[in-house]
Amino acid sequence: MAELTTPQAGDDHDRDSDVVSLLMRQHGDIRNLFDEVEASTGDERRDAFRRLVRLLAVHETAEEEVVHPFARRGLAGGGQVVEDRLAEEKAAKETLAALDDVDTDDPKFMPQLLALRADVQEHARAEERYEFTHIRRSTDVTNLAAMAKAVRAAEAMAPTRPHPGVESGAANMTLGPVAALMDRTKDAVRRAMGKDG
Amino acid sequence: MTFNPLEQRGIPLDRQLRNWRELDVKPIDPDHCDPYTRCRIITMNGIEVEAILFSHQLARNTVDPEVKRRLARVRYIEAQQQKVVNWLLPGVSSVLETTIAYEQVAVDLTAWVARMEPDPYLKQAYQFGVLEDFDHLYRYANLYEMIEHRKAESIVDGLTEVIPGRPTKFHHRDPVDNVRDPYAKDETNPLSKLHALTIMSAEQQTMNFYMNVGPTYMEPIARRLYQEIGLIEEEHVTHYESLVDPGETWWEQLVNHEYNECYLYYSFMEQESDPRVKAIWELHLNMELEHLHQACDLMRRHDGREPESVLATELPNVLTFEPNKAYVRELLDTQIDLTTLGAGYVREAHERFEKMQEEIHGGEAPPSERVMAEHDAMFGREYRVQTEGEHPDPALREK
Repeated sequence: MAELTTPQAGDDHDRDSDVVSLLMRQHGDIRNLFDEVEASTGDERRDAFRRLVRLLAVHETAEEEVVHPFARRGLAGGGQVVEDRLAEEKAAKETLAALDDVDTDDPKFMPQLLALRADVQEHARAEERYEFTHIRRSTDVTNLAAMAKAVRAAEAMAPTRPHPGVESGAANMTLGPVAALMDRTKDAVRRAMGKDG
Repeated sequence: MTFNPLEQRGIPLDRQLRNWRELDVKPIDPDHCDPYTRCRIITMNGIEVEAILFSHQLARNTVDPEVKRRLARVRYIEAQQQKVVNWLLPGVSSVLETTIAYEQVAVDLTAWVARMEPDPYLKQAYQFGVLEDFDHLYRYANLYEMIEHRKAESIVDGLTEVIPGRPTKFHHRDPVDNVRDPYAKDETNPLSKLHALTIMSAEQQTMNFYMNVGPTYMEPIARRLYQEIGLIEEEHVTHYESLVDPGETWWEQLVNHEYNECYLYYSFMEQESDPRVKAIWELHLNMELEHLHQACDLMRRHDGREPESVLATELPNVLTFEPNKAYVRELLDTQIDLTTLGAGYVREAHERFEKMQEEIHGGEAPPSERVMAEHDAMFGREYRVQTEGEHPDPALREK
């Protein structure tokens, strides 16, 4: 059987006119990358892990800059919901930064990755249940589309996957420390949304 | 090895109650568990739900308050068992992921039962049904990739194929054609009674699940698909429950229920790969042995008959979750175009079937077709897990 791959959000043919469905598909993309890291070794694992880190950084930053502010302003009790999500994100980022210092072939890597995976998955479901549901309920299609556009624009400025014409995925993914990547992504998101840092 | 539940004593009933700490079980890891562990959990949840609902119905038809109290005591323990079993499922799983696991249960449980069923008429009923659950798995898998960008493969893990079965749109039959003929309680093999109860319970739980979780989706295509497949589960419960001889007394049915629970917990204990879950199967088996003895007492007292007269002399061969790919493919090759007419099966689209089809579809593509069109628009292909080569039916091969 030919290996079937699910394209990442943005590479499927969805019109991306709904920020919630876009972010939910990204949650799946993140899980798929965790699978890929777990299933590979050596350089392949290193490459998959870099892609995972990048997607996590961009996804979480886009949520922080686009979705959480809306939830905080627009939802009754939104402040507390967002505080809870931000606390989860902060914890995940710390685990991620710690993991980033460990070589992917180091025996310590996999247990830490699995712990991160569990945290990220719980965080993603909590967003879907306690935040996204309310966003869909309390806003209209125009707003959902505008937020989707902002997330897409952010991604365009901080690509999460190798682009056509670039011969080596690994070369395209040379990054540097996680913290710096997140800062750069945040700047990109803010520029995309027409805000200064 | 022979295991006769009638000769074993379990945990005394007054020592079966569990406190909150004991009820608070740690869920399985959805990304790293044995898919068949999850299938066993889903099956036993369906069995416990049926045990509880059956006992409630029996209590509502019981006059003697002392008997009502006895039923209430056992039922409360069964309600605790249901909580422990179903709470093994993790909160991080989405409804759709659990749905795909339900359909994996329906495929591999029904296929195994069809393989082992000694009665040809009952065997045919399972063979007919399994090709429909098999198609539901395929439709939900395509919905799952659309909404969550995840592959059903990450749930079924290559143990069950995900390819078209009998197309879902053809499952909508006139309700009278869903009623089967029952087995004869005094002539049938005792194993057949256990099979019918098991599959009926599993399908009933699936029906209950879809009818309740379907509307929690916001995506229009998901809401519609759950509505369509939910209605087919109604047909399946009708199909399987009508296999059971309605001439069995309430007490005889109670004994069959308890015996079946012993059989299934024993079976799953024997094959469980997760030691923590295995310990739960073992504990519950030891509880069920006592429930069985209670039921046997009630049968002796109210029916004046020995339970041995309706049960197997020894526990049948253990019920097993294992891949059934070749078997399902053989059925795809030979039975995909069947429908029901009365209590039998035919190949032609008869008048009553055509009328139902016309009325329910209202000249439009049903949700089970639309989900494929929407999936194709998003990915330019469909989703399948096809591990054993091309689809046996050339018409259902991927274009």
